[in-house]
Amino acid sequence: MDPLTGLQVGFSVILTPANLYYCFLGSLIGTLVGVLPGLGPLGALALLLPVTFTLTPVAGMAMLASIFYGAMYGGSTTSVLVNIPGEAASVVTCLDGHQMAKQGRAGAALGIAAMGSFVAGTLSLVALTFFAPAISAVAIRFGPPENFGLMVLGIVCTLFMITGSALKGVLMIALGFLAAAVGIDVVNGRERFTFGSLELSAGVDLLALVIGLFGVTEILLNVESMARNSVIAERVRGLWPTLADWRASWKPILRGSGLGFLLGIVPGGGPVTASFMSYAMERRIAREPQRFGKGAIEGVAGPESANNSAVAGSMIPLLSLGIPSNPVTALLLGALVIQGIQPGPLFISQRPDLFWGVVAAMYVGNVFLLLLNMPLIGLWVQLLRVPYRVLFPIVLLLAVVGTYSANKNVFDLWVMLGFGVAGYALRKLEYDLAPFVLAFVLAPLLEQSLRQSLVMSPDGAIIFAKRPVTALLLVASAVLIAFMFRRQSRAQGGTK
Amino acid sequence: MVERALNVFWILLGAGAAVHAWQIGLVGSAGPESGLFPMIAGLIIAGTGLTLLLRTSTAARVPGWPRGAALGRVAGVVAGLAVMAIGVSYLGFAVASAITMLVLLRTIERTNWVGSLALAFGSVAVVMWLFGQVLGMPLPRGPWGW
Amino acid sequence: MNRTALAVAFTAVVAAVFAGPLAAQGDARAQLAKMKPKDFPTQPIEYTVVYPAGGGMDVTARLLAKYVEKATGDRIIVNNRTGGAGMIGHSYLATQAKPDGYTVGVLANLVWGDAMLRAQGKWQLSDLEPIAYLNSDPLIWITQTEGAYKGKSLKEIVQTAKDKPSTIRVAVVPGSMWEYLVEQIESSSGAKFLRVPFQGGGAGINALVGGNVDVAQGFYSEFRGHLDAGKVAQVAVAATDRLTSFKDVPTFNEVLGGNEYVWNVIRFVVAPKGVPANRKAYLAAGVKAAMNDPDLINEYRKAGVYFDPKLANSTRVAADLNQYAERERAFYKKTGRLK
Repeated sequence: MDPLTGLQVGFSVILTPANLYYCFLGSLIGTLVGVLPGLGPLGALALLLPVTFTLTPVAGMAMLASIFYGAMYGGSTTSVLVNIPGEAASVVTCLDGHQMAKQGRAGAALGIAAMGSFVAGTLSLVALTFFAPAISAVAIRFGPPENFGLMVLGIVCTLFMITGSALKGVLMIALGFLAAAVGIDVVNGRERFTFGSLELSAGVDLLALVIGLFGVTEILLNVESMARNSVIAERVRGLWPTLADWRASWKPILRGSGLGFLLGIVPGGGPVTASFMSYAMERRIAREPQRFGKGAIEGVAGPESANNSAVAGSMIPLLSLGIPSNPVTALLLGALVIQGIQPGPLFISQRPDLFWGVVAAMYVGNVFLLLLNMPLIGLWVQLLRVPYRVLFPIVLLLAVVGTYSANKNVFDLWVMLGFGVAGYALRKLEYDLAPFVLAFVLAPLLEQSLRQSLVMSPDGAIIFAKRPVTALLLVASAVLIAFMFRRQSRAQGGTK
Repeated sequence: MVERALNVFWILLGAGAAVHAWQIGLVGSAGPESGLFPMIAGLIIAGTGLTLLLRTSTAARVPGWPRGAALGRVAGVVAGLAVMAIGVSYLGFAVASAITMLVLLRTIERTNWVGSLALAFGSVAVVMWLFGQVLGMPLPRGPWGW
Repeated sequence: MNRTALAVAFTAVVAAVFAGPLAAQGDARAQLAKMKPKDFPTQPIEYTVVYPAGGGMDVTARLLAKYVEKATGDRIIVNNRTGGAGMIGHSYLATQAKPDGYTVGVLANLVWGDAMLRAQGKWQLSDLEPIAYLNSDPLIWITQTEGAYKGKSLKEIVQTAKDKPSTIRVAVVPGSMWEYLVEQIESSSGAKFLRVPFQGGGAGINALVGGNVDVAQGFYSEFRGHLDAGKVAQVAVAATDRLTSFKDVPTFNEVLGGNEYVWNVIRFVVAPKGVPANRKAYLAAGVKAAMNDPDLINEYRKAGVYFDPKLANSTRVAADLNQYAERERAFYKKTGRLK
C-alpha cells in the first residue's frame, strides 16, 4: 500500500465520531498531564492503560498516543509560568521561557511553544508517513557503537549548556555522572554507591530528581523572597508572538523538528534528550549566546519543537518493527499486546487499518492540540494573577503525588526533597543545574554503549573507527570542542 | 564562607567517590569496569572543587542567605515536605497531606484559619479525587482504611 | 451395595460427563461464593507488579485482573511498584505490605534471585507465599536467518565457540538467567562466547536483528514479530521438553546432553506471609476460577506464553514452585554465588 492510499485508509478509520472523541479526550488529558507538575506522560499512560481495554485497538492507541504528545504540548506551560517543568522534557523550557514570562511575554513564549510543537509534530508525521519502513531499516542497525558516538556528542552538548562559570559547570556535569552511577550497574549487575541500602540499589529516579531540582528549589527561592504577591508582577504584554518573534523562531523550530525526529528514532534518544540537545544547539549557533537564559525565544522554540517531533520519531520503530525506543513507547507496545496485537516487521502490511489509523489519529491529534492550546494560553496567563501563597501549596501537593505515582515508592519523596534543598543552595551559589540533568540522563547510556561496544569488538576501540556513523559523530564532537576552545581563547584575547 | 565549605565538601565527595570506585575495580578484561566512570567523575569533582577553593574569582557574588522570617519560611517548606515523606507511610496520603498543607498555610502564609482549612481540605480532596478516582491510582492509606 | 445407590452413582457419573466444562465453571463460581469471607473484601484488591506498565509481567497481571474481576465481582487494581529491576517491589511485598489480603503480588521467579542473592538477609523467600501458578516462558536462543550463523544448529554454534573462542557475540542480561544459561554451556563444553550485556531480553533481540550480536536469547512473545517476518530462527529452547507449538526446535538438554539447561520465567501469584487462611484461600480460588476461563487461557496463548503441565495441574503449587526454587539455589551454590 503506498503512503497516500494508506493515509486515506487511516483517515477513513479515524474519522468516526467515537474515534475522534477518544483522540480529543487523549489530547485533553495529555495537556492536563503536561501541565500538572510531577505527573509525566509515563505515569499517566500507566494509570490510564486499563481504560483502553474496553476500547477498540485504534481508539485505544489514538488516545494513548495523543496523551503522549499532548503532554509535550502542555509541559511547557508551568515551565514558562512558574519556572517548574511539567515533565522532564520541559526542563530547558524553564531557562528562557520563564525569563520571557518575567518580562511580561508569557503569551509569546506559550504561543511559540504551541506553534512549534504543531509544526514539529506535523512535519515529523509527514516523514513518518512517507519513509517509516526505510527509516526503520536504517534505525535497526543502530547498535552500541553508534549509540556511543551519539552519547559523546550529547556530552559535548552538556558543555554548551553551561552559562556561568565553566569550572562550576564541569563540576555539575561530573556530579551528574556520579549521581547516575548510584544503583545497579546494568552492564554487570553489580551494585555501586548503594552502601547496602535497598532503596539506593534502585538508583536515583529521574522524575524525583527533576521535580526536586526545579520544582522544590523554585518554591524555596520564591518562599524566601515572598515580597511579591503573585508570580509575576510585570503586566502581561500581548498574548501572541510578534512578527519579530516569528522571524527569530522559525529556524529553531525547523532545526528542533529535525533533531528531535532523529533522536526519537534511535534507542538512546527520546523527548528529554531531544529538548536538551536542541537547546544546546541553538545556544551554540546563536550570534549572541549571552542572550540565552535571559529570555531568548529561540531557547523555547527549539526544544519545544524537538520534544514533539521526538514523539513522532519514536513511533516509527514501535509501529514498523515493534521496537520501543523509550519507556513510553514500551508502554504503548504493552497496550497493543493486551489487545492481542504484536507489532513487528509485518505489522504495516498485516494491519494497515491499525497502522494508518494511528498515523491519521496523530495528524488529527496535533490539530486538536493546537486548537485546544491556543485559547488556553489566555487562561494560563490569567493564572499568573493567582496569589503565590495560594498557588504554591497546591503545586507542592501535586509535585508530591506526581513523584510518588511514578514508582509508588516513598523513598522518591526524600530524593525529591534532598535535590530540592541541594538545588536551592547551588542556585544561590550560581551553579547551573541544567547540565547536571543532561549529564545524569546521558551518563548511563554513554557508559553502557562504550562497554557493550568494547565487549562485542574483538579488536578494542578500533570498532568506533570501523563504523561510519560512529566515526562521523565522534569527529563532529571533536570539531565542536575545538571550536569551543577557539571561541573561548578568542574571547579571552579580546578582554586582555 | 558557605561557598568555601561547599568547595571542601566537593573535594571530600570527589575523593570519597574515587576511593569507592577504586575498590570496585577500574579496568577488566574487556575494557572499563564498573569503577572507571565514577572514578573519573570523582576526580573531576575533587579537582574542580580544589581549583574553586584556591581561585576566589569564581565565587558567587555574596549570595543573601535567608535570615529571620525568610529563613523560617524556607525551613517551613522543607519541614512540611519531610512531614509528608514520613507521614505518608503511617497516616496515609489524605491525613499527611492535609496536615502538611495546614502547616504550610498557617506558618508560612499566615493565612487565616478558615481560609487555610478550606484550601487545605479543598486541594487534598481535589487531588484525591483526580488521582484516586479518575486515574484509579492506589494512594497510601492510613490505619483507618483511607 | 444396593441398587438405589448404584443408580444414584451412575446418574452422577452420566451427569458429570455430559454437563462437562459448563458445570465445572458454575461449580467454581458457587464454590467461590461459598468461600468468600464475610468481611473481605470491602475495598479494591491491589495486584502489585514489580516491573513497568506495558511489559510482559504487567500484561499477564492485567489480563488476570480482568478475569478475576469477572469471576468474583471484586474490584482489582494493578499497581506497578517499579525500580531496581524488581527489587523495590519485591522488598515492599516481603517487608512492608500489610498481610490483610488486600495486597498480593503477581510475580515472576526472578524474585528467587533477588531473595537469595540480593536481599542481604532483610527478607527471605518464605516471606512470600505462592497461592497460584499462572504461566511460563522458556528462554529460547535465536539467530538471524541471514549472515554467518544462518541455519546453524546449536551443536554447530557451540563447536564454533570452542574452535574459535570469543568470536560469537551473545546478548545477555547480566546477573540473571540469560547469563546463567551461557555460563552453563561454557563450563560444560569449554566454549567461550562474547557476552554483550543488555538491559533486557528485548534490547538483545533488537541487536540481533540489527546485526550487532550473533545470538540473542529471549521469549517467544518478544521475538514473535521477527519470527513471523522470517527475520530470525529458533535454535534451541531451555525447557525440559520441546514446546508443543514448535516440535522441531530441540531443547538444550537433548542437544548438549544433560538436565541442567532449564531456564524459564515462571509467573505466579503470591501473598505476603501472614494473610489469614480464609482470605488466602479465597484469593487463590479467585485466580483459579479465572485460570479455568478458556477466554483467559486463550488470551495468554495469544500473548505467546506456555503452561508448565506440572505446575498447571498441581494441587500443591507452593511446594512445587519451591522445588524449582531449590534447583536455582543449588545452581547459585555450585557457581559460588551463594555460600
